[in-house]
Amino acid sequence: MKAMQARVRKLLEENKIDGFIGLKMEHGHPAPFMFSRENLGEMETLVVGDVRYPLNKALLKVSGQYPDLTFGVMVRGCDERGITELLKWNQLHRDRVIPVGVACSSELAQLCECYKPYPSDWVVGEKTEGIAKSKRLQKIEGMNQKERLSYWLNQFNKCIKCYGCRDVCPMCFCEVCSLEDRNFILTGKLPPENPTFHLSRAVHMVGRCIDCGLCEEACPSNIPVRTLYKKINEIVKEYFDYRTGESSEGKSPLNLLGEVTLELSDVNK
Amino acid sequence: MTNSIAEIENSKCIFIIGSNTSEAHPLIGSRILKAKEKGAKLIVADPRKIQLSFYADIFVRHQLGTDVALINGILNVILKEGWYDRKFVEERTEGFKEFRKVVEKYTPENVEKITGVRAQDIRKIADLYARSKSSSIIYAMGITQHITGVDNVKSLCNLAMLCGQIGRESTGVNPLRGQNNVQGACDMGGLPNVYPGNQPVSDGQMAEKFEKAWGTKLSTKPGMTLTEMLKAAMAGEVKAMFILGENPMVSDVDIQHVEKSLEALDFLVVQDIFMSETARLADVVLPGVSFAEKDGTFTNTERKVKRVRKAIEPIGSSRQDWDIICDLSTRMGYPMRYDDPSKILEEVAQVTPSYGGIYYDRIETEGLHWPCPNRAHPGTPYLHKDRFSRGLGLFHAIEYLPPEELPDKEYPYFLTTGRIYVHYHTGTMTRRSPSLNKEVEEGFAEINPRQAKELGIIQGERIKVFSRRGEIEIKADLSERMERNTIFIPFHFVESAANRLTNPAFDPIAQIPEFKVCAVKIEKVNH
Amino acid sequence: MEYKTVLTTCGYCGCGCGLYLEVLDGQLVGAQPCKTDSVSQGGLCIKGWNVHEFVQNSERLTKPLIKKDGQFKEATWDEALDTVASRLKKIKEENGPDRIAFLTSAKCTNEENYLLQKLARAVVGTNNVDHCARL
Ligand code: SF4
Ligand code: SF4
Repeated sequence: MKAMQARVRKLLEENKIDGFIGLKMEHGHPAPFMFSRENLGEMETLVVGDVRYPLNKALLKVSGQYPDLTFGVMVRGCDERGITELLKWNQLHRDRVIPVGVACSSELAQLCECYKPYPSDWVVGEKTEGIAKSKRLQKIEGMNQKERLSYWLNQFNKCIKCYGCRDVCPMCFCEVCSLEDRNFILTGKLPPENPTFHLSRAVHMVGRCIDCGLCEEACPSNIPVRTLYKKINEIVKEYFDYRTGESSEGKSPLNLLGEVTLELSDVNK
Repeated sequence: MTNSIAEIENSKCIFIIGSNTSEAHPLIGSRILKAKEKGAKLIVADPRKIQLSFYADIFVRHQLGTDVALINGILNVILKEGWYDRKFVEERTEGFKEFRKVVEKYTPENVEKITGVRAQDIRKIADLYARSKSSSIIYAMGITQHITGVDNVKSLCNLAMLCGQIGRESTGVNPLRGQNNVQGACDMGGLPNVYPGNQPVSDGQMAEKFEKAWGTKLSTKPGMTLTEMLKAAMAGEVKAMFILGENPMVSDVDIQHVEKSLEALDFLVVQDIFMSETARLADVVLPGVSFAEKDGTFTNTERKVKRVRKAIEPIGSSRQDWDIICDLSTRMGYPMRYDDPSKILEEVAQVTPSYGGIYYDRIETEGLHWPCPNRAHPGTPYLHKDRFSRGLGLFHAIEYLPPEELPDKEYPYFLTTGRIYVHYHTGTMTRRSPSLNKEVEEGFAEINPRQAKELGIIQGERIKVFSRRGEIEIKADLSERMERNTIFIPFHFVESAANRLTNPAFDPIAQIPEFKVCAVKIEKVNH
Repeated sequence: MEYKTVLTTCGYCGCGCGLYLEVLDGQLVGAQPCKTDSVSQGGLCIKGWNVHEFVQNSERLTKPLIKKDGQFKEATWDEALDTVASRLKKIKEENGPDRIAFLTSAKCTNEENYLLQKLARAVVGTNNVDHCARL
């Protein structure tokens, strides 16, 4: 924590950044906040901890308003993958973002089943090994097709259409969202059209999902959407050899779709 | 609620009646699902096939307005099978004999005839509810908005007492309040017969206490309820009204009557953030602010007092509502001055025993459940631990009474009203929220598809719905949620206001109108 | 340049979810659940996620209004509050306090509800106080 505070203070004082998006302990809760030269006195309240908020999303809002300024942001492994993709999608400018890293605790890494629970560089925490294969996913893959279908339909039926999974997603930045396309998904009823609503979102996560899991944490209905997107990521890796946010080279496979035809039977393998 | 929201998650059995929880109280709905995932049994009784019914161990659709009969049927089985908590009944209740006599008539077979619920299902509900280790009852307006609303609630209390499913963790009788601070509005004395904290105005000692605190003489004569106010306004007996942030023009049963009453006033003041249908009728409109522009507290449905914090400055020249009231009072010759809202809650704590220990510094991080009588008290997540407010719990012997208006030849269908997940109350806020408005832009009438077919109505077609009070035009929405004889209309939409149709008959004690049942007819619109 | 989040309680339903309002330079730019709140536990419904939107709607009332000849005219706070005070006082003196009635609000805070019923009871002198929550 102290190391993070010191680093942020230095970046601000040396004018390397104009603001830092991190977490501030206030009223006994960690909350998203921007530290700046105007409020250096509050640096002591900067915290790290295991509670996560979509800080990249806050960064997009602030940098959208101040495109000429440079901002720091606290990043974990997933957030760094997010920044990499956001740069590719021209949502952020490379010279205008300075990430300050945190390596996740092993508890958090286990909970997330994260394959890379640390960014390329960090000032807080220690590196813990990533988890190669998600147990949650394996459990579902162990079901036969009929069980799997009924499992998911049953899960999706709990949805209260809060759109929280989308609204919290640091990679959802489209102006027009296909989940709101009335020609595609009917509205006005709970649960939303099943499985159209959820599969639409899943498809749009191709090349976008950085496996931060904020969607699942935001789901009031405990729907394991992260597990679903983990599967999507696995398919993307297998078929396109693309790992979202892993390297700044190469484009997302969504940009390729159209040239490649996928047979449904392939995906069912 | 007698018990807290968090406790729901650990209930072993949850009985939901008259509450479409996942749409009207979504984050309580999600607790119910969490309980289910932990192994709780779920009982859902609702005339509509609501989302939670998918997860119910038993789901029954009782005929509208037959709640008392259904509950008496459940009680009957529990008594007959001896599944009740004898110790609890002996030690903590009275009135059991008379109660038993009435309930004995309601055999499951008799109740099946009234409610349409199969006798075997009634037995199953009784079994699950009575024999689970901890059972909670959750209800909302589907129970209260009937001419027998009070009877319905008392019947649910009978059930909880008979089985000793109250006064313990994860049990209780839990009404879900519709609006964010209904609980608080009542707690703060927004009622004609009580001061803050339910202290009767007719009790001389109470009046004396408040006279001392407020330094003025007070009336011990209970005032009028909203329904009585409107009647009195029409008769010229009430000449002026001051309405703070409410829109009875859409929310009240029988809108036409409300409109006439408010127009009959000599002077109407409305303090609100938007030009609501009610504000339009005002002589003076005072612009208050939203929750985002002020400090204060709300008391949620579980009696938890939580902080509201100012995020932005008031818009335009609008002013914080508490500040407007203070200013007005001062101009009327009674100076009211508080540095900030925390000082107002300090005064509340002085005069309201249940809020006696609730101060801003104590609810910085986490709210407190009242009753919280002093600064050292940790708050009370669940009520009635060792005794009921009146001492012994009183059983009520309650007979079933049908709704005031039933379908007949001329008006052959039931109409019931309610909320949908996107909108809130009369829509003054949600319909001005672009994301929410886009989600559902207009009202609709849910009709059973087979019924619609018989009437030649297709999905999305405009239809007319008539009752003895009025008529509206609305979009038809064919839905398997509805049974053949019943249609559902959400009440948020002023241009197709369900409350132009609803029946102004109301519960004689609670004065809650029978929003949930009336008789209507349907016609196609031929343009 | 300021970006902060303010911990508060949802203004819609009675669940009372704890949420953060996101503020950028004095404007609301979003709402999100508080992960450490005991009610919301990091989730909200669609209303909560969008609770900031109505606040800055262009139809917000920004000035007091007084109706003259059936038309609303903008007024100063002094004019509006003096009108209300004098009309209420006059009706009270001429017709008695029970000719005036008050509706408190399930949307307003406890503090405001407390003050309005105090105004009715202590200042006007009537117990004609109710709210719309039965509805
Ligand atoms: S967060 Fe959960 S409940 Fe909300 S829309 Fe997404 S899946 Fe549905
Ligand atoms: S977020 Fe939804 S469930 Fe929570 S208090 Fe607001 S309206 Fe109610």
